[in-house]
Amino acid sequence: MTRYLFRRLFLMMFVFLALSLLAFSLGYLFPGDIVQNLSGLRQIDESQRQQLVAYYQLDKNYLQQYLAFLNRIVHGDWGLSFASQQPLLQEVKLLLPATLELAAYALLLSFIIGIPLGIVAAFKPDSIIGKSISALAMIGYSLPIFWWGLLLIMFFSLALGVLPSAGRIGVLYEIPHHSGFMLYDILQADISYRQEALHNALQHLLLPTVVLATFPTTVMVRFVRDAMLNVWEQNYIKTARAKGLNRGQVLYRHGLRNALLPVIRQIGLQFSTLITLAMLTEVIFSWPGIGRWLIDSIYQRNYPAIQAGLLVISTMVIAINMLTEILHAFFNPLARRG
Amino acid sequence: MSKFRLYLEENNRSPLKQLWREFRRQHSAMAGLFLFIGFFVISLLAPLVTPHDPYLQVDELLLLPPSWNAAGLVQYPFGTDDLGRDLLSRMIKGTSYTFGFALITVAGALLMGLLLGALAGMSKGVKSSVFNHILDLALTIPSLLLAIIIVAIIGPGLINTTWAIMLALLPQFVHGIRNAIDEELKQDYVIAYRLDGANDWHVLSRLILPNIWEKLTIMATMALSTAILDIAALGFLGFGAQAPLSEWGAMISDSLDLIYLAPSSVAIPGLLIFTAVLSVNLVGDGLKTAILKRRQS
Repeated sequence: MTRYLFRRLFLMMFVFLALSLLAFSLGYLFPGDIVQNLSGLRQIDESQRQQLVAYYQLDKNYLQQYLAFLNRIVHGDWGLSFASQQPLLQEVKLLLPATLELAAYALLLSFIIGIPLGIVAAFKPDSIIGKSISALAMIGYSLPIFWWGLLLIMFFSLALGVLPSAGRIGVLYEIPHHSGFMLYDILQADISYRQEALHNALQHLLLPTVVLATFPTTVMVRFVRDAMLNVWEQNYIKTARAKGLNRGQVLYRHGLRNALLPVIRQIGLQFSTLITLAMLTEVIFSWPGIGRWLIDSIYQRNYPAIQAGLLVISTMVIAINMLTEILHAFFNPLARRG
Repeated sequence: MSKFRLYLEENNRSPLKQLWREFRRQHSAMAGLFLFIGFFVISLLAPLVTPHDPYLQVDELLLLPPSWNAAGLVQYPFGTDDLGRDLLSRMIKGTSYTFGFALITVAGALLMGLLLGALAGMSKGVKSSVFNHILDLALTIPSLLLAIIIVAIIGPGLINTTWAIMLALLPQFVHGIRNAIDEELKQDYVIAYRLDGANDWHVLSRLILPNIWEKLTIMATMALSTAILDIAALGFLGFGAQAPLSEWGAMISDSLDLIYLAPSSVAIPGLLIFTAVLSVNLVGDGLKTAILKRRQS
């Protein structure tokens, strides 16, 4: 296990190295002036430009520029946003919790719904229930998420008017900023209208979470179903049955433990897709997260922001990937070899 | 007189025929295949089958409702948009943008993936290990983020997003093909063929490719559904197909302002995207099951 851990960590360092190289080269790849792209300043006069060139070591060779870039990233100097002229790191810190909150609830929902449905579908694959679960999963798997979100808005917000269509919480409620995670902040805050605020925030959360959870849920259903069907064919299941365990006992003691192991790894693999979908969901529901901010950055040609977004999101995805891989190896000794 | 068979005959059909037999037994897969062929034919013949010019703006017929509405015209089955362009013709034309370009994207990614995957799969040691790590990085960057970065560098447009999606799809192809080749190389018949004096190229072209094409097809169908969704999503965000082009995702975002006036102009293009992706997924699932059953029999 220790050897495996070391190898994984070494690999992770390599991946982060490649990522930082990519982010560094973006400064040159983006159109426009390199000094502007790095600093995020719009108007730069001659003396300031010379200062910046010296600060970014642009007069030196690429290796030294890259080292200076790494140094700045580590020390938290990520430059300014073209649009707001605010430090990027501050902006990202404000936006990231909103995205994480949405993604986490969606992932949780996909587990709660997806795993039991997958098990049921695998238990009787040829019955009506099994077939309709598979068909539903197929439909959810094929839905274009932006259209699905629009349909739900059209129905629940415009036609019925029961759920809000945009934002994280109603403008009536003022929640002091604490961690950035809305529900946690409301529970923490010392306010008289906590109940109402919580209710309102949950209402705002419901539609985006359902929309974002649709795809991961269907992936989970299909994955768990296939894994269960696969495990059910194994000889140890037949042995367990032959020894006299009934179906439920076999399912619990031998089936689930083996079938659900790869699910841990699936979280890591799905996370990248989840972030992609979260970006689209945020745009549709005007959710003030990092995805919407990134897409706005394209419209505004806000290159420093795109670079920062790449760094943050990729770091997050890589870290979660590694974490789930290590967890998977921790539970499954067979995976430590590969 | 019906044929009477006394003896059980050995059934030696070609793998392709066996596959087709297993595929044909699944109704949902066949339905998906017909839809798929339909979309394919329409995307090829789009300029010939549109009833009206998809870009012609008729001033007298702005925002005509669909023909099932009392105010609609039978010549315009889905009505017209706010510039008086026929929606049916635009959707037919959009098939070649969304579906056709997705096909081209996947074909391009598949070819490049085959080349790189073969190189990675046949090489050993440090070279293959470095390659792997770079791939791991590319796999972790979310596809939309990658597309956004590419669009930021080379600008928006349908062709540019095609390149972006091709690049975003590439890592999974290379990864899958490399693993498939790795698995093949372990087989005994590969060693036997090598002992007969075959070089790398012989092994690759005569043994490996014929044995992994099934996996390739499944990978390609999965990538195709992703490509359709990505092209539509980028079109919806305004990074993909630009103003006059009637790409389905772009059509949805065009008619978003009219969602109260003409909800069908949002609903129908979305339904088309959904149907196209569903048909691809049905075919992909059917193929997967058919291949599994053929292997078992």
